[in-house]
Amino acid sequence: SRSDRSSQAKPASAMSSDSASTNELSPELRVIRSLKLYFYETFFFMKKMSFFFACKYLAKDVTYICPFIGALRGTLTVTNYRLFFKCMDRDQSLALDIPLGVVSRVEKIGGTSSRGEVSYGVVCKDMRNLQFAHRQPDDTLKKSIFEVLMKYAYPISNSLAFFAYDYEQIFPENGWKVFDALAESKRQGLPNESWRISKVNDHYELCDSYPSTLVVPVTIPDEDLRRIAAFRAKGRIPVLSWIHPETQATVVRCSQPMVGVNSKRCKEDEKLLQAIMDANAQSHKLFIFDARPSVNATANKMKGGGYESEDAYQNAELVFLDIHNIHVMRESLRKLKEVVYPNIEESHWLSNLESTHWLEHIKVILAGALRIADKVESGKTSVVVHCSDGWDRTAQLTSLAMLMLDSHYRTIRGFEVLVEKEWVSFGHRFQMRIGHGDKNHTDADRSPVFLQFIDCVWQMIRQFPTAFEFNEYFLITILDHLYSCLFGTFMCNSEQQRLKEELPKKTLSLWSYINSQLEEFTNPFYVNYSSHVLFPVVSMRHLELWVGYYIRWNPRMRPQEPVHQRYKELLAKRSELQKRVEELRREVANKAASLTSERAGSPTRSITPVQTFV
Amino acid sequence: MRRSSTHRFSALFPPKSYMLASKTVSPTHPPSVFNIFFWEIVVNEANFVRKCIAAESSQDDLWGKLICTNFKISFITHNSIPQQKFQYVHHLLGEHDIPLACVDQVVTVNDAKGKQKVLGSNQKLKFNPTELILYCKDFRIVRFRFDEAGPESAKKVCLAIAHYSQPADPQLLFGFEFAQSRQYGSSGNIIERVNGVDPGGGCQTPLFDRPSDWDREIKRTGASEWRVCSINEGYTVSPSLPEYFVVPASMADLDLKQYACSYTGQRIPMWCWNHSNGSSLVRMSSICDVQQQRKLDQRVSSAITKSHPQRSEVLTSDLDKTLPSIQEVQAALIKLRQSCVIEPFEESEEKWLSSMENSRWTEYVRAFLRHAVEVVYMLEGKRVSVSLQEEEDRDLCCVVASLVQLMLDPHCRSLVGFQALVQKEWVMAGHRFLDRCNHLKKNDKEEAPLFLLFLDCVWQLMNQYPAAFEFTETYLTVLSDSMWIPVFSTFLFNCPQQRAEYSREFVHSKSIPLGNEQALKFPPVWDWSQQFTLKDQTLFNNPLYVGKGATCVQNGTVKTFRRTKQRNYSSTVRGVPSALKNGLRGDVDTLSRRNSLVARLRPDFSQAREVTETPCERFTREWFSRPTDLQGLLLPQLLPTHVTLWRLYFLRWVPEASISQGGAITAFHKLSLLADEIESLQNQLRQYNTSGGVGGTPASTPNPAHPEHGRMYFKCTPSPNRAASTPEYLSSSFPFSPVGNLCRRSILGTPLTKFLNGAKIWLSTETLANETV
Repeated sequence: SRSDRSSQAKPASAMSSDSASTNELSPELRVIRSLKLYFYETFFFMKKMSFFFACKYLAKDVTYICPFIGALRGTLTVTNYRLFFKCMDRDQSLALDIPLGVVSRVEKIGGTSSRGEVSYGVVCKDMRNLQFAHRQPDDTLKKSIFEVLMKYAYPISNSLAFFAYDYEQIFPENGWKVFDALAESKRQGLPNESWRISKVNDHYELCDSYPSTLVVPVTIPDEDLRRIAAFRAKGRIPVLSWIHPETQATVVRCSQPMVGVNSKRCKEDEKLLQAIMDANAQSHKLFIFDARPSVNATANKMKGGGYESEDAYQNAELVFLDIHNIHVMRESLRKLKEVVYPNIEESHWLSNLESTHWLEHIKVILAGALRIADKVESGKTSVVVHCSDGWDRTAQLTSLAMLMLDSHYRTIRGFEVLVEKEWVSFGHRFQMRIGHGDKNHTDADRSPVFLQFIDCVWQMIRQFPTAFEFNEYFLITILDHLYSCLFGTFMCNSEQQRLKEELPKKTLSLWSYINSQLEEFTNPFYVNYSSHVLFPVVSMRHLELWVGYYIRWNPRMRPQEPVHQRYKELLAKRSELQKRVEELRREVANKAASLTSERAGSPTRSITPVQTFV
Repeated sequence: MRRSSTHRFSALFPPKSYMLASKTVSPTHPPSVFNIFFWEIVVNEANFVRKCIAAESSQDDLWGKLICTNFKISFITHNSIPQQKFQYVHHLLGEHDIPLACVDQVVTVNDAKGKQKVLGSNQKLKFNPTELILYCKDFRIVRFRFDEAGPESAKKVCLAIAHYSQPADPQLLFGFEFAQSRQYGSSGNIIERVNGVDPGGGCQTPLFDRPSDWDREIKRTGASEWRVCSINEGYTVSPSLPEYFVVPASMADLDLKQYACSYTGQRIPMWCWNHSNGSSLVRMSSICDVQQQRKLDQRVSSAITKSHPQRSEVLTSDLDKTLPSIQEVQAALIKLRQSCVIEPFEESEEKWLSSMENSRWTEYVRAFLRHAVEVVYMLEGKRVSVSLQEEEDRDLCCVVASLVQLMLDPHCRSLVGFQALVQKEWVMAGHRFLDRCNHLKKNDKEEAPLFLLFLDCVWQLMNQYPAAFEFTETYLTVLSDSMWIPVFSTFLFNCPQQRAEYSREFVHSKSIPLGNEQALKFPPVWDWSQQFTLKDQTLFNNPLYVGKGATCVQNGTVKTFRRTKQRNYSSTVRGVPSALKNGLRGDVDTLSRRNSLVARLRPDFSQAREVTETPCERFTREWFSRPTDLQGLLLPQLLPTHVTLWRLYFLRWVPEASISQGGAITAFHKLSLLADEIESLQNQLRQYNTSGGVGGTPASTPNPAHPEHGRMYFKCTPSPNRAASTPEYLSSSFPFSPVGNLCRRSILGTPLTKFLNGAKIWLSTETLANETV
């Protein structure tokens, strides 16, 4: 009956074979049972999920070579979602549980040992590496760990379906409804007399990586937008991301202009930027922030791209923000992993960290966003932000600037909207940058762009502990599910692809899960004060490596004593006291009432209410 | 109850106290007041001096009069500092005042001639200065310009500052004048002292200058086999030991006197503290008489062993061998200061992390903490007594002995307990504050920031266990700053004997009638009302504190709020989507939560054994695998990722590094409001309980403890509807204001600001020293 339910829930093809394979493992069924018992204790969704889990592989006597503890013997299970290792040593309660989505690379290490064991290394996307040793099966028909992982960790490469399509869980809220482009525009007061909502990209004909709803100046008709699309890389025309509620200064995003070596111009594009400037009466200037180093921007001219010349765009000032490209960032993260995993070198920790340049990149990104926010807030000037394609650095900059400018995005739901809007709907290529289910781990298109964004947000949380409704755990959860492929939120590369794959129908949204237990993700220190702009200090003096994320696998990285916990204790104490004060107040009031009734002759007088301070 | 502090200083601000009021003073910006103490003398002054506020423009500069007294450098201005939103009130110092003892280096510049000179005492200056830069020991840098001032008066005031900030004689330190004025006041009344505390001081800190203080400490720690010995009365045996200290009960006075000769500085082993398991902590200097060494070691060890209930052996911990020397610590601070405040902000950004590493400051902090952990392991884990040994027993021993007690004894984490600890292990044990602070600028080689290093270590513990300490980092910072206000006995002398001697000499030379008193009485720093209002003193109180007297533990309810959760710090073993281990989740919560993606495994790293693990490492690891009892032993995490720069202390004067409306203080603010609310609720309950039973109307009596006398600096507003927002004046530098220091400005902390037009002026102190004309 169990498999019935699950096969109803999904296309029959994959699942039927799954359940079949589970039955094939009947000799080890007892082990599975005990494991399942364990699962029941351990994982929330096991009760439901075990129906969807299809055990693809189970091996006993696997050695997990833990970099912190040493070799551990145990049982390794691989399902279509996860890799699970349970240590079977007597007094070890260690278990590893890793979604296959985090697996970047699986490799054999060395040859077969004298005991007939082969070592496998699993390189993960979440800053850790695993190593297993297992005896090569004598039966050549049996698959090795290596083969199993190579198959199920890479559904794309093996033409399998992502587990997200199988994952069913009832959440009280549908996270796919969190973001509605029109509702968000309405919140910002759009459309208004200067800005309209264009349906020109309704069927993704203008730009296949853009959302269908675009906010553009009223003075620019759709036919102009089509011409501009031809002039901007990948058709990513300048559109509004955010508008200042008071000054009407706007944050506009786009891709690079295709000026090329011949300095091509586009009248409509110039008109559009002029219209953006005109829509804001407070300023007669426009700032164009090119996220790239100027050298890179110039080099792009050879490939037909480039940047706006100040001759063509009058009253516009071009600023380069010096953020490096995806390849530099990938390399930096690779170095960072080398420095932090498995152990840090104590004597040279800071200089090693410095040599990765990771924090320096974080700093440059934050500094860029800060300059944008400063121009919009303090300078009351509209800004146009782009890089080359406008889906990596541009997304980082606009979303961070909006986080600084608009307190709404600092709430949990607001942040979800921000991610859905600036990243998901504007076509950050999650599939390509993360390489979901793709075995090509050396793919040059992979890059930790979104991770950097979340890191920057964490840096802001550190500097403003009361300004964000969400906590660090919220950010870590987002990053974990960036790789897990459990939810559809970060799958595919664009809104168009997502609709084509029917992700909102066939998968669950991460926000469904998060919004179903907001308390987990809430920062108790949050003080909601609206219309407050945050200007973080972008300096190495305050930037820190996010130990709680990058070095969390090291058991020695004990977190610092949480203040939040103590705060919750104090809250509990307060409500207890409030209750007791209230009880006593009533008691006294009753007593006073009975006293007055006893003294029948005395004039009735209203009882002085107890003064409460809360 | 504390007495209001307003009257205390009326005696100190006698007729000479005056105010330079201008005709047009806006009511919001009162002119700075020039207060002068009774015995304070104005040495020199210059008019039309400009105090630089920003480097890139002189637009916000302040105009006023620069005054040098024998105590401080004052700047009297009618202007107010732009952008400054908060300034706490200091009773002894005005807004622009710098105590002379705080001045590290006086640099004069003539930019037209391209000359600069580091001015020493009694030196000549061959050029007329256009600029004066004061490098301060508390990391401030203040710049004055003399463009409009008379060249002669500018020169004179510079020379005066240089001269008076480097007094040749300890009697010229203002503390002596201060003590004198304080003792006799303008009215000539002797202020009574009760057990080392002035009446109304509200401070119960034992000073350990009398046997009763030691007796109480023996009783408190249960050190029954130890006794107070008084052989050093009148400092006849050892010049650097206190008159009273504690020794093994089995040792006779006669033996002690005999042994003393063989120890460096005649410092007989001195008891510090006892563990409840009977093991004790002892400190001693090295034995200088080599022939006696073996015999002495044996005798002393056996005496300490006899004082242990289980007769455990004594382990000696030689600090000189394992810890950095005082010169190395000093070199580290100089490098750190270089990176933090002297080098141009933007230029030092790129190499910030490696320059932090190169300074070795945090490395040394870790080394001292690590050593203390090892001693803790011996006392607690091995249950043996430990004797700390250092050649002189007056520097490294102070740091380690006090850190060990902080980790083991929750009493030391209360405010009074901490002050007693400093009094016991630093002041009375003869830490050379006079030399280490280099108040007399006599010997730079003796200067070493060991006390600051200790405070930094305390801060690291506090940073890792925010609820374990009664006091805050603000407290630690102002305690450190008090070192540079040379009026407190705490930081003015090398040892108690020196205090007695110097004050006797001073009294003699000034022919001061002393009456019944033996010597001048210097106030200790612990009477905080000398410096701050009661309101400002509440900035010392930690709203999170879990301990005796804490808001949350009254009525014996602490148990329900003690952390009972299992620590989930080993995420390796946990399922992904894995959880943050920062304890944001309580286990109790997790168990009842169905949709948690987090595996509820109980990580057990008791097996996480590295081959090379020492017993101490094992002890530490096992301790970390258990839930922390904040009222018990506390061990610091020693990884370089967890021992960080004490930003409030080192960066508070750097405008570019100040986070406007941010920083940990904003969370502190929110916590304070809650703690204050709890406090007022408890007061209400108390009222009901005391008067409620009579049947009267208890509410009519005014709340005695609210709102003036609450523990918290930030008060909850009585109206429940208005959510308290973060006050605008909060910043990561709070309660200090970087505006007006360092002559630089940042606009909202953005990196857009271009500063340092005259970058070449900002040479390092070393460079400047080399270029001395």
